[in-house]
Amino acid sequence: MKEKVNISYPLFESFKNKLKPNRSQAQMALSQVNVFSRLSWQEIKIVENAVHIRNYAPGEPVFKQGDPGSGMYIIIEGSVGIFLDIPHQSPKELSKLGDGDFFGEIALLDASPRTAAATALENSTIIGFYRPDLMDILRTKPALGGKILLALSEVLAVRLRSTNGELVKVSRKLEAALESGANE
Amino acid sequence: MSNNDSVTIAPQSVRLFHQSLFKTLVYFFLLVLVLAGAYKAFPLVVDALFLIVIAAILTAVFNPMVDRMESSGIRRIYGTILMFGGIVGMVALGVVKGIPTLLTEVSRIKDVIQQNSATESLEAMIGDINTRIAEYIPGFQLDLDLITSLSAQFFSQLGSILASALDTLATIIFILIITMFFLVDGKRMTKKLIGMVPNQYFEMSLNITYKTKKQLTNFLRGQLLAALGVAIQSFIGLSLLNWLFDTNISGVLLISTIAGMANMIPFVGPFMGMVPAIIVSLFNNLGDPIAASHFYYIIHIIVMFLIVQMIDNNIISPIVVSGSMEMHPLTVILLILVGSQIGVLGMFLAVPAWGISKVIIQEVYQGLKGHHLI
Repeated sequence: MKEKVNISYPLFESFKNKLKPNRSQAQMALSQVNVFSRLSWQEIKIVENAVHIRNYAPGEPVFKQGDPGSGMYIIIEGSVGIFLDIPHQSPKELSKLGDGDFFGEIALLDASPRTAAATALENSTIIGFYRPDLMDILRTKPALGGKILLALSEVLAVRLRSTNGELVKVSRKLEAALESGANE
Repeated sequence: MSNNDSVTIAPQSVRLFHQSLFKTLVYFFLLVLVLAGAYKAFPLVVDALFLIVIAAILTAVFNPMVDRMESSGIRRIYGTILMFGGIVGMVALGVVKGIPTLLTEVSRIKDVIQQNSATESLEAMIGDINTRIAEYIPGFQLDLDLITSLSAQFFSQLGSILASALDTLATIIFILIITMFFLVDGKRMTKKLIGMVPNQYFEMSLNITYKTKKQLTNFLRGQLLAALGVAIQSFIGLSLLNWLFDTNISGVLLISTIAGMANMIPFVGPFMGMVPAIIVSLFNNLGDPIAASHFYYIIHIIVMFLIVQMIDNNIISPIVVSGSMEMHPLTVILLILVGSQIGVLGMFLAVPAWGISKVIIQEVYQGLKGHHLI
């Protein structure tokens, strides 16, 4: 039986390493978000220069319910809980987000108050991409800004379609319930 | 047992007390040192801050142009170099063309004053002014000696004025270098600075910075456009006066530039812009007996500047200047008085500085209120 011999070629390895793309954690996280998924690596690098990387301690709020919305967040590492504040009750946890998850993208388009609160559940590193950053990209790199806006519109369109579908289902159920009530 | 305890605890607490006293004294000494250093360095810090503030204002003015170039594919650094190349070229052209004209003009006026016929003419003119004004204000007397001594004083100080102008030129170059750095690397610097803000205030700070920057840019751009508008109108108006009524105003370009710049000071500015034109035409018409017999040319100049002001206030300013400068006339006068303590530059900067502070305060207040922090 022949043994496979690994011969290393330092010059070749070094050349291969040089060619291997050296992508940061932030770039990898950004490329997985639907808003940026169609961008080239060069464009993602521009977005990376515009975003803000923040560290949160466990229990530290990312934003509070009612705060004016100003941007989206992408979790690089850690976890974030989305809570709904109910008066005279303890906050209700709506969802728990982890590595690579993102939230708040609609706030890039609209400054209306946040409908829920987001709190870090453990030590977390989160990317913040805010409306001023998007406006800056739109001003200095209009083509890239257009791509991001188009992707955002697609996200909105998908959500609108799914909301419409849900609405149709609910109205059908309601109609059926009303009919059965009338028959009885 | 309890006695023994008290005996052992007492020296420890005394030691602790001594340690904390020593620490407090060291801190106090360090604080005194820092305060003394700060007091000593205060004028330097103020000077540096002044330069940085001016550079930041210029950055706000030029940033949209560099952004525009960046959006059309020119790299930020090249865009900045291109723009500064243009500005330096224009300033150099202005200096090369303007300073000899200015010096010739000054020496010509000096010669006119020193001529006997001109002095006689000036005497006749002052006599005429005195008799006319005395009809309305009894006892009014304009003194020729006072005017002559004032002009002599001005010409004797011309050398020191030129020397301080060179000093100012060095400061301007320094400010332009800082502005260049701000234009190229400003975004990264702002990002680093905002990055230091705690998470709780981060979103709010980012929004306030963005809105304030936007408001400031609009405000400054509006002010500059309005000033440019007034300068162009004054240039056309003064040239028309020279052509139609032979008003004999020289240095029209310089006077128009001064009028445009002075226009940035509300209420007082327009009159400040009018004064050089009147003075120049008065001196230019000194030897002319027809012009000396009536002062219609002064009325022409005043009417022309009033028309320029009407056009500026009703057409140009409402379009280009944002509403952030709405101020009570008394506030403006007080600000100019305070600014005059620093000098002419202080008078120029007092009102815009107040306008900028107002914008920042408004944005910070709204941001804090929006995030339920106040």
